[in-house]
Amino acid sequence: MAGENAAGGTPTRPDERLLNLVIALVNTSAAMTKQQIRAGVHGYDGASSTEAFERMFERDKDTLRALGVPIVTVEGTGHSDEVGYRIDNEAYALGTVDLTPAELGAVALAAQLWSDKTLRTDMSRAMTKLAAAGAGDAVGDAVAGLTPRVRAAGDAYGPLLEAISERRVVTFRYRAASTGEVRTRHVEPWRIAARGGGWYVVGHDRDRAAERVFRLSRIEGRVRLGATPHAYELPDRVDVDAALGARVRHDSTARLAVVPERATALRARALATPGGDSTSGVPAPPPGRDLVTVPYGSLTAFADEVAGYGAAVVVLEPAALRAEVLRRLRAAAALAADTDGAAAAADPDEEARRG
Amino acid sequence: MAERANDRLVRLLGIVAYLDGAGPVDVEELAHRFGVTPARLREDIDALWVSGTPGYMPDDLIDFDAFSLEEGLVSLTQSRGLTRPLRLGTREAVALVAALRAMSTTPAVQADPGRAAVVAAALDKLTAATGEAASAVDVRLGGPEDVATLEVLSRALATGRRVRLRYVDAADVTSEREVDPWRLLTQSEATYLVGWCHRAGGRRTFRVDRVLSAEPTDVPVSAVPVDAEVDVAAQVVADAAGPVDEVRVRWASAARWVAEEVPVEEVTDLPDGSFEVRLRVTNPAWLRRLLLTHAVDVLAVDPPQVAAEVAAAARAALAGYGRD
Repeated sequence: MAGENAAGGTPTRPDERLLNLVIALVNTSAAMTKQQIRAGVHGYDGASSTEAFERMFERDKDTLRALGVPIVTVEGTGHSDEVGYRIDNEAYALGTVDLTPAELGAVALAAQLWSDKTLRTDMSRAMTKLAAAGAGDAVGDAVAGLTPRVRAAGDAYGPLLEAISERRVVTFRYRAASTGEVRTRHVEPWRIAARGGGWYVVGHDRDRAAERVFRLSRIEGRVRLGATPHAYELPDRVDVDAALGARVRHDSTARLAVVPERATALRARALATPGGDSTSGVPAPPPGRDLVTVPYGSLTAFADEVAGYGAAVVVLEPAALRAEVLRRLRAAAALAADTDGAAAAADPDEEARRG
Repeated sequence: MAERANDRLVRLLGIVAYLDGAGPVDVEELAHRFGVTPARLREDIDALWVSGTPGYMPDDLIDFDAFSLEEGLVSLTQSRGLTRPLRLGTREAVALVAALRAMSTTPAVQADPGRAAVVAAALDKLTAATGEAASAVDVRLGGPEDVATLEVLSRALATGRRVRLRYVDAADVTSEREVDPWRLLTQSEATYLVGWCHRAGGRRTFRVDRVLSAEPTDVPVSAVPVDAEVDVAAQVVADAAGPVDEVRVRWASAARWVAEEVPVEEVTDLPDGSFEVRLRVTNPAWLRRLLLTHAVDVLAVDPPQVAAEVAAAARAALAGYGRD
């Protein structure tokens, strides 16, 4: 079957065309011009027109570079003005990666980390290359019983990574968490990060002329890359935690009124509470509830957790946490009209009493 | 399609580079190394056999010893310059290094110095081989788990010993359990212990940050099943016994992660950007908690009875705040 290709019969598969291009450019003494490639390299002879060939060759060049093949451009010399191409054989090779079987076991485990199809594909190619470099058998004892997994990053990951690698400005529609408003943002992306179940991109927001963090799940539609590479410089240091800190981390302490024997998981993280301390100005818990003081990192994650306990936990302070929990509870209360007999009867009564 | 072509190209280049260094290799062994079936590997060899430098005369082509191949041995006789393994592309380096770096910082790895050293060494060697580009992605896994608890679980896992846990579940019920640990699973937001619970007489998943205390025992664990690899989210739902209810929830687009994280039966995208998921729920407390927590993004719940229960729970909670 493949033999017929060599004879110039059926069209060559893209992978086989690319393979022949790599072999040609590895072996060329100086460089090959596009014309030489079109005429000589197997798989390009089928191009119906010069334009079709140009498109095919440009795409192949991009593909090979993305896979790590160092194709270099050689300016026309001597008898020809035409640009030539060759592969930089020094840059081609993977450096020595001398992994012990135990280390390979750790690498094999890390290979299972990603949930996204694109990241899994990138990872599997990396593993193929390590296998080609002679990596031995993996021994998983050191990491036995561990399974790391990260939530999928979604469609924005690929374009953002490409943009960071090439220093291209990106444009996307973004839904602000606070207002729900969707606006077009122009960003110089610095780093993609995953923290606490969310994926983010940290970068310079051109419209606001400041560092900003964007959550990938709030990007609507496609991420578009600017036409100009090297459009900006990456900062020497990008501190993802500091950048996210401004947004989601508030190393704070919550004071909660908890129904006795409930919210045990929260209580397990509680700080020792000074019993009956009236000097601190902390509001006293309502009768029949315990005062529980719990430190927390992320405001939204902690509000999620507290709201999940329903009536068992009431936030006394801080006000920001109280407001976040109330927002969730009000939304939940609105899920169904208050048609329950007892509750429906109770409300007008209360109104009457207050009136 | 393009992805697959690229995957195959990387494998084709890899096979030649590997054979050039390793000498003749058994077909089965080579197929195993590159993660393909022997039949697929033979197709790869057929493709390589007719590839080479322009001209494509017999001397221009990659060549194998045909006699050996009939005997099941792949023996490369001409590599046409593809003698060295191809370096990693930027994306591949990122996926590999970011994954290892994420793993190296997980509480489950950090809890064991020997394990942490192995992961750190692998990370050093790969970072050296791939360069700085890999820092474009920075992933941190695991939640604020208690290190002492993780150390106990980690040691029990390594030594194959049962642990005694005091655990509080999602429904806020505390219990004492003896558990054979099978796996420590670190996800983006938390670490889970998967194992055999002797109290429940079944496989259970425990969130490590809900383990109130963990004590080692001397009792060896029974054999760990080979499929101890589990879908945690599915496990969390399946762990509670009880009848299965089918529930449909329509979510605002901001809650996209629900479709990825929660074991849904079916996802339907709706024209306005919202989406509906169909869930099989065995643990009503789990569902109530999910809906209470993320009510802001919940647009509709069917059956209405479920929505009514959640709304009633929320009203009871709001009553605790008075007129705020």
